[in-house]
Amino acid sequence: MAVLVDKNTKIMVQGITGTQASFHIQRAINYGTKIVAGVVPNKSDDSYLGVPLFSTVKEAKEKTGANASIIFVPAKFAKSAILEAIEAQLDLVVVITSGIPVNDMMKIRQELARSKTILIGPNTPGIITPKEAYMGIFPDNIHKSGKIGVISRSSTLTYEVILEINKAGFGESTVVGLGDDLIVGCGFNEIIEKFNQDKKTSAIVLIGGIGGNYEIEAARLYQQTKKIKPVIALMIDDPTTLSDNKGLAPEILCRGITTLAEKRKKMEDAGMIVIDNISALKDELARIC
Amino acid sequence: MDIHEYQAKNIFKTFGIKIPKGIIAYTPTEARDAALKISETGPWVVKAQIHAGSRDVGRFSDKRAGKKGGIRLSKTPTEVYENADKMLENMLVTNQTGVKGRLVSRVYVEEYIKTIKKFYVGLAVDWTSASIKLLISPVSEHTDDDVIEFALKNSEDILKLDLGLQEQITSQQLNEIAQFMEFSGTLSTLKTFFNKIIKVFYAYDAVMLEINPIGISKDGDIWPLDAKIIFDSNALYRHKDIVRLADNTEVEEREQTAAKYGFQYKELGSGIGIISNGDGLALNIINEAKKINLNTACFLNLKGGVDRDKIAASIKLIMTNPKVDGIFINILGGFLRCNLIADGIITVANDLGLNIPLVVRFEGTNKEEATNILQASGLSLLIAPDTVLGLNMLQKAIAEDL
Repeated sequence: MAVLVDKNTKIMVQGITGTQASFHIQRAINYGTKIVAGVVPNKSDDSYLGVPLFSTVKEAKEKTGANASIIFVPAKFAKSAILEAIEAQLDLVVVITSGIPVNDMMKIRQELARSKTILIGPNTPGIITPKEAYMGIFPDNIHKSGKIGVISRSSTLTYEVILEINKAGFGESTVVGLGDDLIVGCGFNEIIEKFNQDKKTSAIVLIGGIGGNYEIEAARLYQQTKKIKPVIALMIDDPTTLSDNKGLAPEILCRGITTLAEKRKKMEDAGMIVIDNISALKDELARIC
Repeated sequence: MDIHEYQAKNIFKTFGIKIPKGIIAYTPTEARDAALKISETGPWVVKAQIHAGSRDVGRFSDKRAGKKGGIRLSKTPTEVYENADKMLENMLVTNQTGVKGRLVSRVYVEEYIKTIKKFYVGLAVDWTSASIKLLISPVSEHTDDDVIEFALKNSEDILKLDLGLQEQITSQQLNEIAQFMEFSGTLSTLKTFFNKIIKVFYAYDAVMLEINPIGISKDGDIWPLDAKIIFDSNALYRHKDIVRLADNTEVEEREQTAAKYGFQYKELGSGIGIISNGDGLALNIINEAKKINLNTACFLNLKGGVDRDKIAASIKLIMTNPKVDGIFINILGGFLRCNLIADGIITVANDLGLNIPLVVRFEGTNKEEATNILQASGLSLLIAPDTVLGLNMLQKAIAEDL
């Protein structure tokens, strides 16, 4: 068992011929990931990396049965690629691309609200189910299969957390990087629900990010759903350390107080175990698992 | 990217929004001439143009400017000259500039508009709901100029409307606004004004548009007395005209270099310099460093696409900061190929020599190859297995280096 991606997930790649895509997709194939199609709008070949190429997402889905897509296309073209995947009603879309304009993401979110597609990213390392498959750009040598589900809004911190989970003697059921951008396709809640239903997962590690209220929404849901599985939340990102105050004005005005302390408190009140440094993770895992 | 008040107002003007008459000036003489072109009798307002708010309640670091802030009412052309003279080439410190303040290289001379009521007006992206919010709040002459502080204390005095992705306000929203503002002018003036600023917001891919404040005149006109627009840096490729408005005179050389390479760079004091490829990662290092009493001088986020040249540029940049006594490079990722980091470090070492302790920690593809390259290079750098050990190694190396 796993969430979102496993060894049977049939995956297409939008923008497969790019340098980064080629590199990472080849590694994913070697890892055992079922990459079944590539989508390239003006294709000149029939296949690439041994994978058949198609001009549209729709065609790739019909011909191969792929129901998930990983997107590598450059930021300027990402919006149309993502909308195409949503329109083709794929179950899962993972967007690796970074630097997508805010306005484009707002329109994409509007479309998402009307569809059943789950969009992970943009600007995410992706999703990995160790020993089975991954959609993303993970270093494939650091993950261990195990019972800890990981959901993260801070890409690079994810790797630190994985290493720490491994050191503590555990492994990961699935790791989901939600993306580092301020507007992402999917918040914590949908993934927490999936981990709750996943038999293999016995605890969840949540890694908070800078800005946004995704963590507070997660806390709210967690309280309502009666804390099915223990959640350890790593919350170290104090936005005021790294960015100028002025950039936060809109957020504070829109939502009220969203300081780190406030986020932590709401999460603790909801029953999550909140830690402020990675070193504390080991002890907490040992205590609850 | 930020632009100045006068530049934002010019954009307003091209969208048909009425703005007070104003002229930009780079010298006191230009300021006085500008005043006379604007009106014969005044009064005028002389406004320091910096990329930060709360100018009115800010202070200049050079005492010749007196105790007033960066926005000054001037009754005669001579006063305009004097005020411009005091502000220009002076550092203005506000609660948004940091302690050093920002260099004022130009002032905006504007006609003084008499208004009877003032409001803060803001349009902003609400990240979590991925929609636009319109915010309005009354501003009294005695209100602390800092809107954030105000918002935290008086959230019930703010009207927040969710615009979704609407390009115009609905008639229901218009009525709500009019009621909230106790607006006595015509509703169509109000509607036109808000629809036009929304138009500006979308047309230029803004993430925030702030007018602090708008003034309502006795005859029901709406005047933007200030204007601030923050653009989405990811969408600037669609707006070459905005890119041309960039003013780097108040940006320091290191920040300019960082911007050139697309790095996020921030100076925090003196201590170690951190290079990482993520905010979360950097914050974790800062926290871990604090635990062993190691301060952080600056951090640099390489952002995506790490290659040899970017690594070399980032190390060079950090080495030009005299407050840095050691460097910690911590890079994790799958996108990343560690051998490129090794190549970048060797490039810098060959160009400049490594004159301060350097600890490298990486995880990713080709890690072993990179470790071998660095070990074979004979450079006096340290390779750490994890963050905590790396920081301890750096602390020790700095102590020995002194």
